[in-house]
Amino acid sequence: MDESKAQQAEIAALLGAIERLAADLALAEEPSRFIAALGTECEEAEGKARPS
Amino acid sequence: MTAWTLEGLAGAIRQGKVSPVEATQECLGRIGRLDAKLRAFITVDEVGALAAARRLEAAQRRGAWQGPLHGVPLAFKDLCFIRGLPTSCGTRTAEYFIAEQDCTAVARLAAAGAVTLGKLNMTELAMGPFGDNAHHGHAQNPWRSGHCSGGSSSGSGVAVAAGLALGALGSDTGGSIRLPAAACGIVGLKPTYGRVSRAGAMPLSWSNDHVGPMARTVRDCALLLQAVAGRDPLDATSSAQPVPDYRASLRASITGLRVGVPENFFFQGVHPEMEAAVRKAAEVIAGLGAQVSEIRLPDPQSMSDVCNIVSRSEGSTIHARLLRERPHEVQPVVRARLELGMQMPAYDYLQALRLRARLTRAFIAEVFATVDVLVAPIIPEPAPSLAHATEGPVHELVARQGRFSRLTRPFNGLGLPALSVPCGFSSAGLPLAFQVVGRPFDEETVLRVGDAYQQATDWHTRRPLLD
Repeated sequence: MDESKAQQAEIAALLGAIERLAADLALAEEPSRFIAALGTECEEAEGKARPS
Repeated sequence: MTAWTLEGLAGAIRQGKVSPVEATQECLGRIGRLDAKLRAFITVDEVGALAAARRLEAAQRRGAWQGPLHGVPLAFKDLCFIRGLPTSCGTRTAEYFIAEQDCTAVARLAAAGAVTLGKLNMTELAMGPFGDNAHHGHAQNPWRSGHCSGGSSSGSGVAVAAGLALGALGSDTGGSIRLPAAACGIVGLKPTYGRVSRAGAMPLSWSNDHVGPMARTVRDCALLLQAVAGRDPLDATSSAQPVPDYRASLRASITGLRVGVPENFFFQGVHPEMEAAVRKAAEVIAGLGAQVSEIRLPDPQSMSDVCNIVSRSEGSTIHARLLRERPHEVQPVVRARLELGMQMPAYDYLQALRLRARLTRAFIAEVFATVDVLVAPIIPEPAPSLAHATEGPVHELVARQGRFSRLTRPFNGLGLPALSVPCGFSSAGLPLAFQVVGRPFDEETVLRVGDAYQQATDWHTRRPLLD
C-alpha cells in the first residue's frame, strides 16, 4: 500500500468511528462537560468514606 | 550516590552527609561518562547546575533551606522552557519553542530546591512512543542497548533509570510519561488533567497534554508531584482542586481497596511475559489486603479513537508553521502524522470533543462505582529493538506506533491519573510494568497502591549495569 492510500485509509477509519459513536449525541452535549465530569467526580469522591 | 532514591539523597543532604555540589558533580560525572552512549540529554547545563548547587550549599551553611528538594539534581524534557537554555522539543531547531515565562512545573521544582542538570532527549515534537530521534540520537534503553527507551519522554526515562538524574519531568499526550517509564523500569505518573500546570511546556494537544514526574520510586514521584501540583494562573486548564499531602497518604493501608483488572481490551495481544507479570502484580496487591476482581470496561477503543482525532487535529494546528515552512526538517513519520491531522474536518474534531465528555462521564460512573482503581498493562511487549521503531515504510511505522501506545491513550482522553510501576523483567532482561489508574484527582490512592506494591517487592531496587 502506498503512503497516501494508507493515510486515507487511516483517516477514513477514524472518521467512521467518530460518526458511529456520535450518532446519538444529545443536543446539550458540549466539550466543557469533560472538565465538569472530572470536577464532579472529585467532589463526590471527597464526600465518600474510602477504605484506609 | 546516583544509585540512591531522590528521597534518600534529599535526606542525606539535609543531614549534611552529602552536599548539593557533591550530588551535582556526581550526576555530571556520570552524564559525562555514559551519555554519549545513552543519549538521554540534549543540553547539559554544567555551569548553571554547579552555580545553583553552590548557591544552595551556601544557603545550607547559613541554615537556610530552600525546600524539600534542596540540592537534588533533576533534569527536564526538552519541551520545558527554561530561560537561558535552548528548547528544541526534539526538532532540529535549537530554539524551537520560546515561552513568555519559564515552565511552571520546572520553576516550582527549583523553588523547592532542585538543581537543573539540563534538558532531556525526546521524540521529535513529542510525537512517537518509541524514543527514536534522528536529530539528537536515539535514546538507548539502559537495560539493553539497541532497544527502545520508550517515548516521547525518552531522555527522562533513560536519565532516571541510568542514574544520571534523581528525577525528571515528562509530558504525556498519549502515554509519553508511562511508556518510557515502563520501558526503562522506573515510575512515571500522568496526573489528572488539570492537576499540574502545562504553562511553559510546548503544547502538542491542549486537550490531552499532561505534565508529570518520573523517578525510581513511587515515593519519589509523590515528592515531585507535591512540588508541582496545583492551580497556576498561567494555565487556564489547571485545577483549583486542593492539593493533598501525597506522602502522608502513602502511609495508609490498601486493605479493602477495590482493585479492578480489565477483562476486555487491555490484555488483548499482550506479550505472554508482560501479561504474566501484570497478573502477578495484581496477586501481590491482593496479598496486601486489596479486593481484586475482574471488571469489564466501557470500550476503551472508542476513547482511543476520540483521543486520536483530537490530538492529531490540535498537534497539526499547533505545529502547522513548521510543517508549512520547513517540512524537510521533520522526520518522515512525524511529518506523516502532522499531515494526517491537517485533513481532519472541524466537524469531526468537535464531535470528538463532545463525545469525550459523554464517554468520560459514563466511564467514571460505571467503573468507579465498582472499583477504586484499575490495574492494567502499559506496553504490550517489552521494549522492542530500535530497528522495529525506525525501519520500514512510513505507514507501517505509524501503525507500529499506534499499537505500542494503545494501552495508554484511553486514559489521556479520560483525563484520569495513571501511574506506571515496574513489576519484573522479561527473559531478555527488559523491564515489565503495570499501570494503576484512579478517579479524577485521586492521585493519593493511585500512589498508595503503587507504593504498597513497591514496599512488598524489590524490582525498583534493581539497577542496569552501565559502568
